[in-house]
Amino acid sequence: MDISDTPEEAAFRAEARAWLDEHATPRGQSTEEPDLGDHVQRARDWQRTLHEHGWAGLSWPEEFGGRGLPGAFATVFAEEMAGFEETTGSLTVSLGMVAPTLMAHGTPEQQEHIAKMLRGEELWCQLFSEPGAGSDLATLGTRAERDGDVWVVNGQKVWTSLAQFADYGILLARTDPDLPKHTGISYFIVDMNDPGIEIRPLVQMTGQAHFNETFLTDVRIPAENMVGGVGEGWSVARTTLTSERSSIAGGNSGWSVETLIEEARARGRCDDPVVRQQLAAAHCRAEVLKVMGYRIRTATSQGRFPGPEALAMKLGYARHWVASTETAMELLGADATMYDQSEPWQYAFLNQFAIRLGGGTDEVQQNIIGELGLGLPREPSADRGVPWKDLPR
Amino acid sequence: MNFDLSEEQQVIADLAAQLFGDLATTERVKAAEQGDGIDRELWASIAEAGLLALSLPESAGGSGMGLVELCLVAQQIGRTVAPVPFTSTTVAAMTLAEHGVGTDLLPGVADGSVILASALAETGANDPLAPSVIATRSGDGAVRLVGEKPAVPALPLATAVLVPAMLDGATILALVDLSTATAGVEITPLKTTSRESQGHLTLDVDVPASHVIDDDAALEQLFLRSIAALSAVQLGVGEGSVAMAAEHVSNRQQFGRPLSAFQAVSQRAADAYIFNEAIRSTVYNAAWQLENEPGDKARADTLAAAYWSSEGTEKVVLAAQHLHGGVGADIEYPVHRYFQWGMQNATALGTATSHLVRLGDQLATR
Ligand SMILES: Cc1cc2nc3c(=O)[nH]c(=O)nc-3n(C[C@H](O)[C@H](O)[C@H](O)COP(=O)(O)OP(=O)(O)OC[C@H]3O[C@@H](n4cnc5c(N)ncnc54)[C@H](O)[C@@H]3O)c2cc1C
Repeated sequence: MDISDTPEEAAFRAEARAWLDEHATPRGQSTEEPDLGDHVQRARDWQRTLHEHGWAGLSWPEEFGGRGLPGAFATVFAEEMAGFEETTGSLTVSLGMVAPTLMAHGTPEQQEHIAKMLRGEELWCQLFSEPGAGSDLATLGTRAERDGDVWVVNGQKVWTSLAQFADYGILLARTDPDLPKHTGISYFIVDMNDPGIEIRPLVQMTGQAHFNETFLTDVRIPAENMVGGVGEGWSVARTTLTSERSSIAGGNSGWSVETLIEEARARGRCDDPVVRQQLAAAHCRAEVLKVMGYRIRTATSQGRFPGPEALAMKLGYARHWVASTETAMELLGADATMYDQSEPWQYAFLNQFAIRLGGGTDEVQQNIIGELGLGLPREPSADRGVPWKDLPR
Repeated sequence: MNFDLSEEQQVIADLAAQLFGDLATTERVKAAEQGDGIDRELWASIAEAGLLALSLPESAGGSGMGLVELCLVAQQIGRTVAPVPFTSTTVAAMTLAEHGVGTDLLPGVADGSVILASALAETGANDPLAPSVIATRSGDGAVRLVGEKPAVPALPLATAVLVPAMLDGATILALVDLSTATAGVEITPLKTTSRESQGHLTLDVDVPASHVIDDDAALEQLFLRSIAALSAVQLGVGEGSVAMAAEHVSNRQQFGRPLSAFQAVSQRAADAYIFNEAIRSTVYNAAWQLENEPGDKARADTLAAAYWSSEGTEKVVLAAQHLHGGVGADIEYPVHRYFQWGMQNATALGTATSHLVRLGDQLATR
């Protein structure tokens, strides 16, 4: 056990820091909040810059345009990056979810997208949830029917983040209603410019229309755009969902315990013992997440599957988010009641539901931890083995 | 001991429930949010129903009732997230009536033509009992007020505002007239989380002796009544949000059964329900104590109610929002208003922590 940087990691850290100092904007310097479209464009631009300078796909295999470095290097870079404004958050679905899925399950042609994502050229969205299928994603009813060389898709998706900006989507659709719910699903790549796709933005409490309703009417998907085989969609989706959990947990939230402490200092609240206690509690939560992250990275770098700590990360991060933004609301005093999109704490507080619901809710995470971590029996379900078309709805 | 409402009180509660239930519809609330944060038609209706005069003395054309009755109405406002400056106006009016200051405004309060504000929130740690506005004597009992007040509810709509200030080491309340534009009084409208009308107040103005409440105890009384009334709003907010969540989790099916069949869901809803009962008990206890037996116990009991309605209601609205899943995250669905109100009210006159700190000081130094 040695938690310090290896000489290689230390050299890499210094190099990353020097490059960031030259190319990135220190946190707190920009004052105006860009609108969502600008924000997305900036993420693409930053990803392109990272790629041009060799900082993209640090731990991705070289065959996919990555640098093939151990995971620790990506962490070092993320740690250094945390002090700067730029973020590739809008590319989370692309880089954190679709790319790993295509690496594991895609055909060589499908994998060609990966290099484009790495350059910030392609933005993807996730067309999984439906009005009737949230936590119980596997009951989804969007239908894909074979017509020669294409699949014709009809149905409705909802809460599709950034669909209005996306070039492509990953789509789960039912290809065989006669099979039980998990087995009749297939996984597709869909071109978001298809004329059969209609996107209606939904506004959230933050004031932004970050997510959308997506209607699919006779969308024609070439058969070669299926990822995995017919009826293998659920197992492919599990790769995406596992990646989603770790992407959310490792996300760049735009705030940190450091920024919380700075807020307290700026507002002259640091002498208050109650405030200090809350700051210390935030630090303790962040430490757990950081050190669990070390354990996960150690496991993956040794070729092992990470243990229960990986399952706990998303839930831990969600709880840390909620508690820390509550502390921030305390610190803001009367300003906490002001509605102002450029106020990062207010935004983070109102945006907590993205973290607690998106990617599987807190309770769904707890169920997974109970089953996979602790080995508890699954919750009994009446629909096991029942053809999807016969499920009550 | 009898915790039941009197017949008269029950009539008021029922009247308020019916009136707000009928009139504060989602469409009307939305329209007020997009406008200036008040539903004037609704305001006129509650004036007509006599609800604005409930707690005014009979000498001022009121019904001579008190804080408990006022809280019964406030609760229904929270329950329907009704955009009207009721607590702000009626609590300030009680103070004016009690001290015989600005009494010419009271008939207007009763008929709805006068809206009142109280500038209690403070910048920094938001301690309403330590006002930052400085008053100096400017002859004949008049004072000059200099300073700023953040986040004043109903300020852009108000005819007059009660401003706490420090005068010679003690607190006073000064009634600042807003009915005509006055040099030295600046109001900046603010956008708030709950979309409630609020403003930032900047003062450099003389207030005549007739408009000064030179009584060090008046501020704390105003503060305690204000947090009791706000806690009653929170009670209604919590009730409304839990009712909406209970309906949603009973109807929405996942995994072939209603969400409510999952114990993680039903138990979280049950916790929220119990929080509401804690808030109900402490709020009406506090309102009764403040009205009938003011003193240290009433103060402590009111801070306890404020603690529950900050900490508790925040948990309640978080639970209700969370149990709605993605459905509630889209603001076309109304549950988010409870979240935004609950969250705003939980910090408006101090957070749960600040109520505990204040109460802790009182308990430990008794
Ligand atoms: C901001 C945001 C962005 C999103 N982005 C996307 C996206 O880009 N693409 C996409 O496909 N989806 C997206 N989603 C959808 C997200 O995945 C779902 O909201 C989530 O899976 C929960 O489903 P639901 O909303 O239907 O809630 P429901 O499943 O209806 O759950 C409601 C409540 O019941 C609880 N519950 C449900 N089942 C159980 C159980 N078995 N045990 C205990 N409790 C339970 C839940 O925890 C929750 O509190 C997004 C959601 C949000 C809020």
